Amino acid sequence: MLSILIENMGLLCSRNKHYNEEDNEENAQTAEIERRIEQETKAEKHIQKLLLLGAGESGKSTIFKQIKLLFQTGFDESELKSYISVIHANVYQTIKVLYDGSKELAQNDRETFEISSENKEIGEKLSTIGSRLDYPRLTKELAQDIETLWKDAAIQETCARGNELQVPDCAHYFMENLQRLADPDYVPTKEDVLHARVRTTGVVEIQFSPVGENKRSGEVYRLFDVGGQRNERRKWIHLFEGVTAVIFCAALSEYDQTLFEDESKNRMMETKELFEWVLKQPCFEKTSFMLFLNKFDIFENKVLNAPLNACEWFKDYQPVSTGKQEIEHAYEYVKKKFEELYFQSTAPDRVDRVFKIYKTTALDQKLVKKTFKLVDETLRRRNLFEAGLL
Amino acid sequence: MASCAVEGGCASDYLAVAISAVCFILLLSRVILPFAVLKIPLPKRSSFWIPVIQIYASLNLLLSLVMSLTFLKFKKTYWWHSCYFWGVWIEAPLGFGLLLSCRISQAFQLYYIFVKRCLPPIRSYIFLPLILMPWIAGAAFIQIKRPLNNRCHMGIQWTIPVMSLHTLYVAILVGFTGAIWHIEFRFDELRDLWRGILVSAFSIGVWVVAYFLNEIHEDISYLQVASRFVLLVMASILVLAFFSISSSQPLLSQISLRKREPLSFETMGQALGIPNSGMLLPREPAPVIDPDEPLDKLLMNKIFRESFMKFAESCLAGESVHFYEEVHELGKIPADDPVRRIYMARHIIDQYIIAGAAMEVNISHRSRQAILTTSNLAQPNLFHDALNELIQLMKTNLAKDFWSSMYFTKFKEEATTRSHELKQMTRWNHSPTPRLSSAHGVDDPFHQEQES
Repeated sequence: MLSILIENMGLLCSRNKHYNEEDNEENAQTAEIERRIEQETKAEKHIQKLLLLGAGESGKSTIFKQIKLLFQTGFDESELKSYISVIHANVYQTIKVLYDGSKELAQNDRETFEISSENKEIGEKLSTIGSRLDYPRLTKELAQDIETLWKDAAIQETCARGNELQVPDCAHYFMENLQRLADPDYVPTKEDVLHARVRTTGVVEIQFSPVGENKRSGEVYRLFDVGGQRNERRKWIHLFEGVTAVIFCAALSEYDQTLFEDESKNRMMETKELFEWVLKQPCFEKTSFMLFLNKFDIFENKVLNAPLNACEWFKDYQPVSTGKQEIEHAYEYVKKKFEELYFQSTAPDRVDRVFKIYKTTALDQKLVKKTFKLVDETLRRRNLFEAGLL
Repeated sequence: MASCAVEGGCASDYLAVAISAVCFILLLSRVILPFAVLKIPLPKRSSFWIPVIQIYASLNLLLSLVMSLTFLKFKKTYWWHSCYFWGVWIEAPLGFGLLLSCRISQAFQLYYIFVKRCLPPIRSYIFLPLILMPWIAGAAFIQIKRPLNNRCHMGIQWTIPVMSLHTLYVAILVGFTGAIWHIEFRFDELRDLWRGILVSAFSIGVWVVAYFLNEIHEDISYLQVASRFVLLVMASILVLAFFSISSSQPLLSQISLRKREPLSFETMGQALGIPNSGMLLPREPAPVIDPDEPLDKLLMNKIFRESFMKFAESCLAGESVHFYEEVHELGKIPADDPVRRIYMARHIIDQYIIAGAAMEVNISHRSRQAILTTSNLAQPNLFHDALNELIQLMKTNLAKDFWSSMYFTKFKEEATTRSHELKQMTRWNHSPTPRLSSAHGVDDPFHQEQES
C-alpha cells in the first residue's frame, strides 16, 4: 500500500518535472518563433509592396509576365509548353466568338455578315468545339479549317466590329500564326506567351529585384497581380495595407468596348470610376501612383478609324489633324483627362504622394523594362526623401 | 349609450382599443424577439423590407379604424381628425391594401419561380407599388367626390364598390395560392400561406359584415357600437394572424434556408437532402490522382475537391470551386424532382450569379444573362456555360500552381495514410461525421468583404 503511494508520488513528481521541461521547451520555442517573426518583419520592411490594379483586360497580367521575364529566371521550356493549351484555347474561343458574332450580326445585315455556305459547316464544327470543355490539340487540319473561316469576308467584317463583341486582343496575332501553332513540336515563344490571354482570378505574387547592368539598385519588390473583373475587385481590399506603389493599368484602346462582365457598361467609364475609387482609399494616403496608359500599340491603330468620343468621358474631343500628329493629340487628351481625374480625386492632405503617368505597351519588352527602371528610380528617390536624405 | 355611440368612448370601445393594442404589441414582439433573443442576423433587401412594410401597414389599419370609427372621444376636433385622412388614405392604400399587396407579391413570386419556373419578370419593389395603384386611385377618387358624412360613413352606393375592392384582393391572393397548390414545397411555405389565407378570409368575412352594418345602419346606436367593436377586434386578429403565421418569414427568405428549420444546415445541398452532400465518408476510397487528367474529372472526387478548395481559397479564388461543388450537387437531384432543383438553382443564382452576390463568380455577361433570363429554372444544363467558363478559369489560373503547392503535398500524404486506415476500419461500422464546409467558415475571405 505504502509502496504504491510512494510510487505514485514519484510518478507525480517526475510528471511534474516532465511538465516543467516541456514548458521550458515550449518557452524556448516561442522565443525562437518570436525572434524569427521579428527577423522576418525586419526583412519584410525592406520589401516594397507593389500592386497591379485596373479593370479587366487592362494588361495587368501581361506586365506581371514581363516582370517575370525581365527580372526573374524567365520561362523554361516546360513553362513555355504549359502555355500551349492556353494558346490553343484562345484560338478556339476567338473563332467561336467571331462565328457566333457574325451569325448574330447577320440577322440585321445579311449581305455583309452572312458566311459563305461552304464555310458554314466548318463554322458550326468549330463553334461546337469552342463550347466544349476540353479543347483538342490544334492539328494541321483544324488549323486549316480555322484559317479558311478566318479569311471569310463575313468573319473579317465581324472582326472589324470586334469592339461590340468580346474578341480578345490576341485574335489577330494568333490567327496570323496558325500554322506555326499547329506544329506537332510547337513550343511557344516568349512573344506567344505574352500574347496569351488568361483571365486572372484571385491573387498571384512574385518577388524580384530589378538589378540592372551596373547592379546599383538593391531594392526588393513584391508585386501582386489580381483579377480585374467586378467580382474580383472585392478581394483587392485584402492587399491594400502597406503598399508602396499602385501600378494602375488603364487600356487606352478600350474606349469603345464594353465590359466582359457587363456589356451595358463602357470599359473606359468603368476604368475612370475604378481609378477614382482606388485613389480615395484611405489605405493609399501615402502610396505612390503609377498610371500605365497601356495598349498604346492598339490605340495607335484604332484611334484614326474609331472616334475617341465614342466614350462618354471623351465626348468633347475634337480631332485636329491626321496621322501621327493626331494619334499624339488623342493620347495627350486622354492623359490630360486622367491627370484631371487624379487631382480631382486627391484630397489636399494627400497632394504630396507621387503620381506619374507612363505610356506603355505591355507586349513591348524594351518599353516595359525602361518604364520599370523609371518606376524603380522614382520609388528609390521617394524612399530617400522619406528618410530625410534628399 | 346613445351619445357614446355617436361621440365615441363607450366601455366596449375602450375594450376593443385595448385588444387591438395588445395584438399589435404581440405582433411587434414576434418580429423583434427572434432577432433580439436568438441573435439571428438581420436579413437583407426585400426579406427585411417586406415584414417592415407589413408591420407598418398593420399599424395603419388599426389606427385608421380607431380614428375613423370614433372609438375615442375627443374634446375638440382638430384638422388631423379628418375622415378622408384616416378613413380613406390611411385605411385603404396604406393599411389594408398595402398589407394584402405585400402578400400578393409574395405569392406572385412563388408562382413564377415554381410554376413558370423562371425568375420573376419584375422585382418586388416594382411589383408592390404597381398593385397598390388601384388603392391609391380609389382613395383619390373618393377624395375628389367627397361622399363621406360627418361620421365618416359614405352610404351603400359607395360601400359596395369599396368592399368589392377589399374582397377582390383577397380573391387574387387565393387565386395565386391556388395556382401553386400542387407543388410540394420543401420548407412549408405553402402550408403557412394557406393557414394565413384561411384565417384572413374568415376574419375578412366577419369584418365585411360588420363594416356594412356599421356603414348602413347609422341610426341604430347599439348596432353601431357592437359592429365597430367587432370590426376593430377582427382587424386586430387579422393583423396578428396574418403576420405571425407566416410573414415573419416572407417569401424571399422562405426560399432561403436555415432560419425556419429547427436544424441548421451547412449547405443548401444538406437542407435539400442530397445524398452525400457536405460530408466526407471515412470509407471513401483513397483517390489515385493523376495530374494529367483534366481538372473537371479530378474535381468530381470529394477529397481532392476539398484540398483544391483550400488552395483556391488561399489564393482568394475559392468562389469558383464552391460554385463547382454546388452545381455538382444540383446535378445529383433527379430531373423528376423539379421543386428541389428549383430551390437549389435559386440558391446558386443568389449566391454566385447575380451581380454583387456574396460569392459572385467571374463569368461573362452572356452566361450570366442566359441564366437570369432562363425559361426553365429546373433544366439540367442551366449552369453549363458558366461552369465551363469557370473550369477553364481554374485550369489556367490555379491548376498549375496547385500541383506544386503545400496543399497537394499534404493531400498526397493524407491519401496514403487514408488507404492504410481504410483497411483497419472496414470491420467497424463508422457513422459518418459531418464536416463543416468552409464556405461559411471564419477564414472565408468573402465574409470581410466590403460593399463598394
